[in-house]
Amino acid sequence: MSIDWITVIAQIANFLVLVWLLKRFLYRPILDGIDAREAEITRRMTEAGEAEKKAQAAEAEFRQQIKQLASDQDAVVTQALRESEDQRDSLMAETRAKLAQEQQDWYKHLERERQKFTAQLQRAGEETLLELTRKALRDLADESLEEAIVRHVSARLRPIASELTDAAGDSKEAVATTRDTLPAAAQALMQADIKNLLPGINLRFETDPQQAPGLVLRVGGAQVAWTVDSYTEEFDALLNERMAAGASGRIQPAGT
Amino acid sequence: MQLTPDDIVVFTLAGWKINATIVNTWIVMALLVGVSMLVTRNLRADVPPNRWRTALEVIVKMIQGQIEEVARSSARHVMYFSGTLFLFIALSNLMLVIPGFSPPTSSLSTTVALALSVLVAVPVFGIATGGVGSYLKTFVQPSVIMLPFNIIGEFSRGISLAIRLYGNIMSGAVIAAILLTVAPFFFPVVMDLLGLLTGMIQAYIFAMLATVYISSATAEPDPSLPKHEDKP
Repeated sequence: MSIDWITVIAQIANFLVLVWLLKRFLYRPILDGIDAREAEITRRMTEAGEAEKKAQAAEAEFRQQIKQLASDQDAVVTQALRESEDQRDSLMAETRAKLAQEQQDWYKHLERERQKFTAQLQRAGEETLLELTRKALRDLADESLEEAIVRHVSARLRPIASELTDAAGDSKEAVATTRDTLPAAAQALMQADIKNLLPGINLRFETDPQQAPGLVLRVGGAQVAWTVDSYTEEFDALLNERMAAGASGRIQPAGT
Repeated sequence: MQLTPDDIVVFTLAGWKINATIVNTWIVMALLVGVSMLVTRNLRADVPPNRWRTALEVIVKMIQGQIEEVARSSARHVMYFSGTLFLFIALSNLMLVIPGFSPPTSSLSTTVALALSVLVAVPVFGIATGGVGSYLKTFVQPSVIMLPFNIIGEFSRGISLAIRLYGNIMSGAVIAAILLTVAPFFFPVVMDLLGLLTGMIQAYIFAMLATVYISSATAEPDPSLPKHEDKP
């Protein structure tokens, strides 16, 4: 067992070099790395904590916004319901008014149609009445309708001849108006009757397509006439009475 | 029988005989530094450590923890010194199992060198920490009468360190060599296992004793103890 002092010195030098080398390549990098990693972890933990705080704040804000939105939503729904109810009422009122107007228009239209139909029916009734009367007169009395009308008017003139003369005044003309031109025989008969009943009065014949079938004699301000209007008015009254009676068209006897 | 690798001359450099102790020390140093360089290159804080780096971190943190337990301070310089002592001795002793390899610690010159290093390191750390006056004052503590005993104790610490380490490693090698001649197929394995155990224990003890000596020199005086005052 001996000590080689040269080796001792060399080993001391080796050891010091090893201390420096390990310090340079082991301890310092490892410990600095650990410190840096700890610092990094601390930094990340801090950042994570801050991020968590931010997230919590954002969550609270988000919840507040949701709450606010829910509140707003209720108000909006209430408002929308109110508006929809108002709109529904308005539309219903408008529809009712429109319906009433249409109903009224329909009634008017129905009334017009009824009047039109009645007028047509009246006209047709007049024509039919005249034709039937003319045919009946020809078949039964071998007489024309126009001549019968002339004789009827003349018969009505006879009791009031003096009054008609007064009514004529200064006017020396009588006007006989018909819808169609009177036949020559009827005109001659009318001329003769006027000449006998109202001497000095000239008779003039006119036609008026708007006038009802018949004869209207105007002397000054007086007028004597026979038209089918009186008959058609009765016919209308009967017809309306039947229409009002219902679908059966039967007139209930009075007292039943 | 070769008791120390100092006697084995590997080569001669400029007239200097380079023996196996020095060469094997260089091999141990190369292993330690090489592994450290390989593992600690390209270290980045944001990259997770690999298993090699984790292993080194465990070793370094273990050394640091042990030193902090003894020294109750985290002075890095103490760790550089004591940690290097531990790693060097431990690796040297572990390489005892390599056939034909004589651990540098089985040389009394190496253990003396390490003990001298500790012997010098103690006052150096003490002076670096508290100054020359504070360090010299420790030799007259608790009284001036203790000065020669403190000086003797200071030197005996180094000698005991050197002899202890050398004796343990060398005795293991010697016993193994003797038993090898008696039972060459069984005892070497057992002795190698025992050598690994005692080698690690010795590395730990040597490093811890060095740390204790250094920390006792660098520790601040306990305020609870009575303060000695020189009276005129």
